[in-house]
Amino acid sequence: MPHVMISNKKCTGCHMCELGCSAFHEGGFQPSLARLFTDVNPTTAVIKGHSCLQTACAKCQEACPEDAIVTRQITVKPAGEFSSREKNGDTVTGFVLIVDESKCTNCGDCYEVCPYDVIHEHPAREVAFKCDLCDGDPQCIAFCQNKYVLAVDLKLDKKDKELRA
Amino acid sequence: MDFYQGKVLKIDLSAGTAIVEPLNMEWAELYIGGKGLMLRYLWELTEPGLDPWSPDNPFIVATGPFAGTNVSTCSRVVIGGKSPASGTMLDSYMGGSFGSILKFAGYDMVIVQGLAPQLSTILIKDDVVTLAPCPAYTGMKTSEIEAALRADFDAKMTAISIGPAGESKLPWACISNDQYHKAGRGGTGALLGSKNVKAIAVAGTGKVTVGDAKAFLDDIERMDADYILTDDNYWVHEEGTPILVGITSGAGCQPVRNFSEGTNPDVENIDSEAFQKIRVKKRACYQCTLACRNFHRVEGAEGEGPEYETIALCGANVGVGDIDALMKFNIECDEWGLDTISTGNVLGLAMDMTEKGIHDFGVRFGDLDAYLKVPEQLATRSGIGAELAMGAKALAEKHGCPELAMHSKNLEMPGYDPRGSFGMSIAYASSDRGGCHMRSFPIGVEVVEGSMPADTLDSSKVVWNIDFQNHYAFKFCGIWCDFWAIDYDQMTQLMKHLWKRDVTEDELKVVGERVWNLGRLYNLREGTEKKDDFVPKAMLEKPFTTGVSAGKVIGSERFAKVMDEYYATRGWDENAVPTEDKLRQLGIDVRL
Ligand code: SF4
Ligand code: SF4
Ligand code: SF4
Repeated sequence: MPHVMISNKKCTGCHMCELGCSAFHEGGFQPSLARLFTDVNPTTAVIKGHSCLQTACAKCQEACPEDAIVTRQITVKPAGEFSSREKNGDTVTGFVLIVDESKCTNCGDCYEVCPYDVIHEHPAREVAFKCDLCDGDPQCIAFCQNKYVLAVDLKLDKKDKELRA
Repeated sequence: MDFYQGKVLKIDLSAGTAIVEPLNMEWAELYIGGKGLMLRYLWELTEPGLDPWSPDNPFIVATGPFAGTNVSTCSRVVIGGKSPASGTMLDSYMGGSFGSILKFAGYDMVIVQGLAPQLSTILIKDDVVTLAPCPAYTGMKTSEIEAALRADFDAKMTAISIGPAGESKLPWACISNDQYHKAGRGGTGALLGSKNVKAIAVAGTGKVTVGDAKAFLDDIERMDADYILTDDNYWVHEEGTPILVGITSGAGCQPVRNFSEGTNPDVENIDSEAFQKIRVKKRACYQCTLACRNFHRVEGAEGEGPEYETIALCGANVGVGDIDALMKFNIECDEWGLDTISTGNVLGLAMDMTEKGIHDFGVRFGDLDAYLKVPEQLATRSGIGAELAMGAKALAEKHGCPELAMHSKNLEMPGYDPRGSFGMSIAYASSDRGGCHMRSFPIGVEVVEGSMPADTLDSSKVVWNIDFQNHYAFKFCGIWCDFWAIDYDQMTQLMKHLWKRDVTEDELKVVGERVWNLGRLYNLREGTEKKDDFVPKAMLEKPFTTGVSAGKVIGSERFAKVMDEYYATRGWDENAVPTEDKLRQLGIDVRL
């Protein structure tokens, strides 16, 4: 299914993706609440990107005792350029994992299992928050637009490709 | 409040206190942020004629209103105070991530005064501020102190720090952030070191609001495409500042062997092409999509840079055309915490004096063994470093050859010789912090574009320099990076979000001029006079003998004439003091 992913090799560590992500969801720039992040060690210049793999991973969904992580259909149409655009086209339809806040009890079971450290407790709402693919307009892609970098890509996992074929 | 956090963190090291004051919003209206706001606070904080080494001299870190948003390049901070190197105002800029993270921690500015009883760090985690003695950090290089703070304080912190050069108060010790970003000029590191502070570390989790965030994102998306990710700016990603190496040598304005020639015979060993061959990766400042930081690798060394200024001053100016040695030298300067411009300038002078038989420092042009020892010697004031630490002016005067010191207002000159770009003479002489190319940059039109002749000096150059200085004074309030070629129209589009009303270009021009004049007032208050607006005589009288600038002479008389024109055009009196009319017209709220 569609998910966003950061290339550790291409990423320059500018954090624009986190800034766009947090402003879109939180009404202001607050990277501590971004749904993806680049772990940058500025001294050594080593970078590691963290983002949600959605249904290709789904560990949070499996772990959730309340069935609060729900699968929803989504059409993703990113603004701007991304590396796989030529291969996958402008628009990708598939599934995304969303937190149903009415069901989430903030038990924290999913926080423990996420392999990428991208599902957390929201400090104000006291429920889990994670990548929702920005309702189909991923801001992380929209703001990683240096044509020589394009480090955030829209990826499709195998199942998704089969479905499309 | 949108954009601003409305808070200034004030630290008194002598009293051991940290207090939060509201940001003076009247000043923020008049002076925006960055350079302007820092200068206004500086004016207020100190008594006239302050000794720069006094504990009262404030170490000011100021952000601009756009730090902590996704406006490209605006993570920059200005480090301000009274310069221990030049005695003028000090405003030195750097990228990295400190500005953005400081905003997330909740502050627009940090002001540090007083003297810590022993070497200390200032640790800021949102609203928790700690002054911590740190004897164990004594002598740590810049990469070591960052690693230590990440382990001891917070894994996600970023820090402003000094290397050993700052601890030994070398007048051109710099401030480091994220290892490769330096507020290089004017002794920022010496100022922090003189307060016994090794580092200011910050970790922040808060929010910067901008009003309607989604509308703001849409507008920034448009501006990124139209104004930032364009060919006008992409050169910094594709090539970076080494692009200038071939250009300035070709134009005869590169400092070669203590500014004795303008054309570098070794240029192809250290030009942009040579660096592209050893380039390994790119990194960006926080909130910058341009990503200009080039990493290079040679046998036994990998690191960011060197940038043009380092290649010019620590390469051409000291007779070094060996790219491996230059890479190593640059990394050493970064680690010990040295400004590479002053380092290469002073070292070039010492080599010149040695070659001329004035005094034997044991270093000659191109002598790599002696050269590679210099960063450590300077930072620890050992060997020849003890004497070189005086700086170019004092060193040359001591040995009876003041004419060999290439400085203005006691700040060593950077990598452009006015003999190959006449307009630079005005830029240097009228600069508010001494020998500096970042106030106006005639190289752009006289050398890079060729849209103005390089060998004329007349009214058109006066007006051009003044317009550029005002433009950059505003730009450095933003704080936009030099590498975004942002014009007034583009700045009005961003200021509209800040002021939440329509903004005209003329309004911004007035702010720029206001900030420039405030800087002049500060310098006059601190004792700078008209006679200090100079460039070394050799640059006016002594022609080069090689390259395209050979034989070209500005002439002292012509120079004096354009400087008088400069003052008059600025609305300053015959002593180069801004007139009351001018100050009133600009709405400046202080007086001498
Ligand atoms: S915007 Fe792109 S280059 Fe910048 S940190 Fe995110 S992934 Fe890396
Ligand atoms: S939030 Fe984490 S655990 Fe859940 S799907 Fe995404 S990557 Fe997997
Ligand atoms: S797709 Fe949207 S929610 Fe997901 S990481 Fe990117 S910006 Fe954040």
